[in-house]
Amino acid sequence: MTDTDSVISCHNLWKVFGPGQMPELNERTTTQDLQAGGHIAAVRNVSLSIKRGEMLVVMGLSGSGKSTLVRCLARLIDATSGAVMVEGRDLGAMTEAQLIDLRRRKMGMVFQSFGLLPHRTALENVAFPLEMRGQDRASRIARATEMLSLVGLKGREGYFPRELSGGQQQRVGIARSLAVEPDIWFLDEPFSALDPLIRREMQDEFLRLKAMVAKTIVFITHDFDEAIRLADRIAIMKDGMVEQCDTPERIVMAPATPYVAKFTSAVDRSRVVRAGALSRPVNGRSVEGDALAANATLHQIARIIACDPRDFIPVRAADGSVGLMDRAEALDILLGPDLPETAA
Amino acid sequence: MTAAALSPAPASFDRRRTAQALLLLAALLATGRNILPEALLRPPEALVIPFAAWINAAFAFARDDLGLMALTRAFSDLVEFGLDVTANLLYGKARWPRLGPIPWVVIAATAATLGHALGGRRLAAFAGGTFVWIAVMGQWQWAMETLSVIVVAAPLSVLLGLALGTLAWRFSVAERVLNPLLNIAQSLPHFAYMIPVVVFIGIGPKAGAIVTIIFSVPPMIRLTLLGLRAVPPEIIESGKMSGATRWQLMTRVRLPAARTEILIGVNQVIMQSLAMVVLASFIGMPGLGQKLLQLLQALKIGLSFEIGTTIVLLAILLDRMSKAAAHRQPVHHAAGATFRQRHPHLLAWLALTAIGFALSALHPYFTEVERKQALSLAGPVDAGVDVLLTVVAPLADWLRWFLITWVLIPLRDAFLWLPASAVLVFVAGIGWRVGGRRSALVCLAFALPIALSGWWDRAMITVYMVTVSVTLALLIGLPLGLIAAARPKRAARMLLVCDTLQTFPSFIYLIPVIMLFGVNDVAVIAAVVVFATVPILRYTVEGLRSVPPELVEAALMSGANPRQMLWQVKLPLAVPTLLVGANQSIMFSLFMVIIAAFIGTQDLGQEMQRALSSADVGKGLVLGFAVAFIGLLADHVLLTWSRNRVESLGARR
Amino acid sequence: MQRQTRLLLTAASFALGAGMAQAEDSTDPITIPIHNWSSQIVMSNVVGQMFESEGLAVEYVSTDSQAVYEAVRLGDATLELEVWEGAFGASFRAAVEKGGIVDVATHNAITREDWWYPSWTKEACPGLPDWKALNDCAAKFATPETGDKGRFLGGPVDWLKHDQEKVDALGMNFVVVNAGSAAALWAEIAAAEKTKTPIVVFNWTPNFAEAVWPGEFVEFPAWEEGCDKDPAVGPVPDKTYDCGNPANGYLKIAAWDGMAEKWPKAYATLQKVSFTNPQIAEMAKLVDVDGMEPEDAAAKWLADNEAVWKTWVE
Repeated sequence: MTDTDSVISCHNLWKVFGPGQMPELNERTTTQDLQAGGHIAAVRNVSLSIKRGEMLVVMGLSGSGKSTLVRCLARLIDATSGAVMVEGRDLGAMTEAQLIDLRRRKMGMVFQSFGLLPHRTALENVAFPLEMRGQDRASRIARATEMLSLVGLKGREGYFPRELSGGQQQRVGIARSLAVEPDIWFLDEPFSALDPLIRREMQDEFLRLKAMVAKTIVFITHDFDEAIRLADRIAIMKDGMVEQCDTPERIVMAPATPYVAKFTSAVDRSRVVRAGALSRPVNGRSVEGDALAANATLHQIARIIACDPRDFIPVRAADGSVGLMDRAEALDILLGPDLPETAA
Repeated sequence: MTAAALSPAPASFDRRRTAQALLLLAALLATGRNILPEALLRPPEALVIPFAAWINAAFAFARDDLGLMALTRAFSDLVEFGLDVTANLLYGKARWPRLGPIPWVVIAATAATLGHALGGRRLAAFAGGTFVWIAVMGQWQWAMETLSVIVVAAPLSVLLGLALGTLAWRFSVAERVLNPLLNIAQSLPHFAYMIPVVVFIGIGPKAGAIVTIIFSVPPMIRLTLLGLRAVPPEIIESGKMSGATRWQLMTRVRLPAARTEILIGVNQVIMQSLAMVVLASFIGMPGLGQKLLQLLQALKIGLSFEIGTTIVLLAILLDRMSKAAAHRQPVHHAAGATFRQRHPHLLAWLALTAIGFALSALHPYFTEVERKQALSLAGPVDAGVDVLLTVVAPLADWLRWFLITWVLIPLRDAFLWLPASAVLVFVAGIGWRVGGRRSALVCLAFALPIALSGWWDRAMITVYMVTVSVTLALLIGLPLGLIAAARPKRAARMLLVCDTLQTFPSFIYLIPVIMLFGVNDVAVIAAVVVFATVPILRYTVEGLRSVPPELVEAALMSGANPRQMLWQVKLPLAVPTLLVGANQSIMFSLFMVIIAAFIGTQDLGQEMQRALSSADVGKGLVLGFAVAFIGLLADHVLLTWSRNRVESLGARR
Repeated sequence: MQRQTRLLLTAASFALGAGMAQAEDSTDPITIPIHNWSSQIVMSNVVGQMFESEGLAVEYVSTDSQAVYEAVRLGDATLELEVWEGAFGASFRAAVEKGGIVDVATHNAITREDWWYPSWTKEACPGLPDWKALNDCAAKFATPETGDKGRFLGGPVDWLKHDQEKVDALGMNFVVVNAGSAAALWAEIAAAEKTKTPIVVFNWTPNFAEAVWPGEFVEFPAWEEGCDKDPAVGPVPDKTYDCGNPANGYLKIAAWDGMAEKWPKAYATLQKVSFTNPQIAEMAKLVDVDGMEPEDAAAKWLADNEAVWKTWVE
């Protein structure tokens, strides 16, 4: 992957908190080295690249450094070392004016506890970024009204944040972050503060919006199910380092470290793994009957797999090529592997 | 051994031992007084530092050579312009814009509408009622004179507080510089800076306004700082991500988000401004305060009581209004609401104002009520005070005899008998006990200059009066607080009494107290105790009420009876709050002891009066600093102690 | 010669004319400070209204009676109508030394400040007003804080009355307790009145107390020049202050030294102002006893006493 097709990327990014002189930071720097000087690394040597239109979910437990990472990517805090490139420009080298200009045109962000201004109505909150960049009153009100109806808050324009429910407040937050039509959309645990039912509803809403707006997205969450549900790619973080950055399927099927494996063990693989992932080259075997779509999850085609008499089921990829899926392997994923005791 | 095992850290054990050693040394110095060399009894003449002369030299330099006066005078002219405008509008002083005076009915209607907008019907009635009271009692002119100054001083104070608070928030250097200045500004007796203000600012309403600003700005600065620090980081980040520049972030995100704290600051500014009404009249603040002093001088207790009531009413009204504004949350209007629906108060106000102007055109009574037409409560009040004085006179005589012979004179002699060295070591020991070496040094840094200023004996008399007053205040305030806190309704009523006592101009107490006890320390202490009990009462109630309910429930489930509940659970948990109350009580006492110089004392306050009459800036300020340092010393010890308690309670929980 | 004389005369008249033009009073308001006792407030209003009748602008400003001298010196206040020798002499002298303030005139009124008692005291101590008789019944003035000695309630210490020295010099059986303000003195007298308790306090004339509580000054050995400095003067050969206070203290008018130039007409008037003891007592009475507002009291006084002040304003 090169920088040319990436919208935002970081290279050897470090964020170290602590007093005085920073130690030298490279891939060999250890936690012990840092602790000796009273330093704590929140982000350690992270390199990531996100393509245009891609959605990267950064997943980690609290204290894993994911929020710090996203703040470095948005330069809400300055990285200690390493570089963040946005569309080929070094974010760290920008002047304050350039940074402000960038945020006014290219970036939007949604926050965990919404970050709404308590003294402004929903409409005024959504119009706030437009007001900052000096847009005239009529056009920003029109745009904000449009954004609010997009997130389903038509008729609540005059409400103040505290008069809205948590889900509604976050809808305002989302509308605000999209008001300037940013290219890059940061979402920092946007649904964590919501109760489970609302969270689900908001995730659906998010997917709907995502399909409409086509942004490059960096999404932070501590909820693995959420990550799997939404992500193109997932970066799993632990102690400031990225343990693995891959597609949900790869993470589930081929965890890179024991930590990731532990994480994925409880996941219902059938909902993650798609038919394409089990598709093998034909290799001269016979291809019989109808082919399945490669992008369907096993869960979606469970009934077919269970009832299909063929041992090898053809799978057609998006480019039209066909491969074969081993039905037994698919059933293993759907039902869990045959255990000797139960077999007996 | 057990002590060491119980104490959480060896450092604290060391601290206790060092403190004990110091206190023991102090006790030794005191018992061995008669064999001590002269130099340990009182600082020798040679060591006394001529602070006053230095200050006078610096003052003369600033005035004559530095040209500071031109600057301050230019600033005060600016303030005066504002004052002229409000003075014209409110009571028709012959200045631009020459529109005033606004008829009292219009102002009362405005206040009522504002009250309704902020706090509903009750506040509307209270606001309107207050102004009607002022008008029919014939105090309109005086009250408007007072308000014309406050209306200018309070907003200036708010702006200045916002600016300085922001500065302190932005630059830690500014905070470090401001902090001690604020402490001193709040604890320096007003008489100390009266002459400098007269020189640099002049006299009249502008000087009154500026003294008011000096006195009221510290809480505004502190609360601005607090508010800015408390803004949730996500709100700031959301502002940044919206592409706000620093200025936009400050004006449209941080300050509005800190609104609640800032409005509490505004509330404090208003309350402090009203507290200054009487004192500021010493240098030309016109209105209620000036009238009050004049009436007291002629022993017209009833009339001055009326004025006091007006000041209390205004204070409570402005307090309620600003608090309502602080707690008011914006409410949206239904989409498509008409102008009338969206602005009912504006329209009501316009209508009432029009009616008011019409009424005042019909009859001058509605413009201003003449003194001749005014009602008065003075007769009954005077009679009431008279009866009260006669009834309690025998008791007061006995109390006077008892306190003077058996308590005050022996105590006072004891305070003066103590060697200065013993007191200094004692102070260091107490400091060491509460906060280790650092606190010991802080305490000494406050106490030593007093010894070296040459006013030791006077300072000891001040300390003696404050000690006696605060002790009495504790004896009265604690039980009362315990009784009041038992029921929420009673507590609310008691807090209202506290508000009233606190805002009632302290000068009014002085006269009845002299009539009861005569010119002596009993009278002084009686006047001080009235004032010093208020914070103890208030904080006892607050402290007991703020005990977490789950702890009370836990104690109930453990089978605690009411007595155990109070002594084992509630009181220990309320100690930090009580200490803050005691601290406030000391501050109030110091303030009042200095004012009680008008009764007749032999302490720092009396010397301050003398310095005032000889326009001796240096001496006045040295005495003022001595008073301030006594206050700051007590403040440091008690607040550190309270913080330690909070920490240890926090650790235990 | 004649021509020259005429030229000179013309020049002189021009100069005079120019001078006259300059002598026009400024339109800025004259700032008159008022304090917290009635006679001073009424007198300030009386003089203020006199100035107003001359077409001048006047403003009143309330100030502390001690801090006011600094204000007059700097021109913030234009004048001060009651400079009591006893109470404010020190402040006034200090201000004069620093410069900026001038002694404009002295009232006809004489002030007397000394030990004083209200009439009911005489019943307890019939020998009064003689000081020896007072000393003989010292025990009747005893209070808890003075033990078996009598208490004399003095004025504030900053008034610099030498009461303690007097007690020492005359060997009196009294302790001096200083009140902190005039109001404290009045309060004590008012309290004593209820029970007709004998009391001896510091007091002065003219003031409103005379109208409320009739009483007399204690007669000490008469003041002689030098009694306060030379031990030989007075009845006790080796002590100073072995005498009463002078029975004729001054009551002066002070003004900012720029006043004569800025408001020459007003200044000329001010130089002529002089009130007598009865006039001052009358002014105080209008407010303190009749309950009038100061400005109304002043207007009434001016209406009743046109003969007195019309000549002052030409």
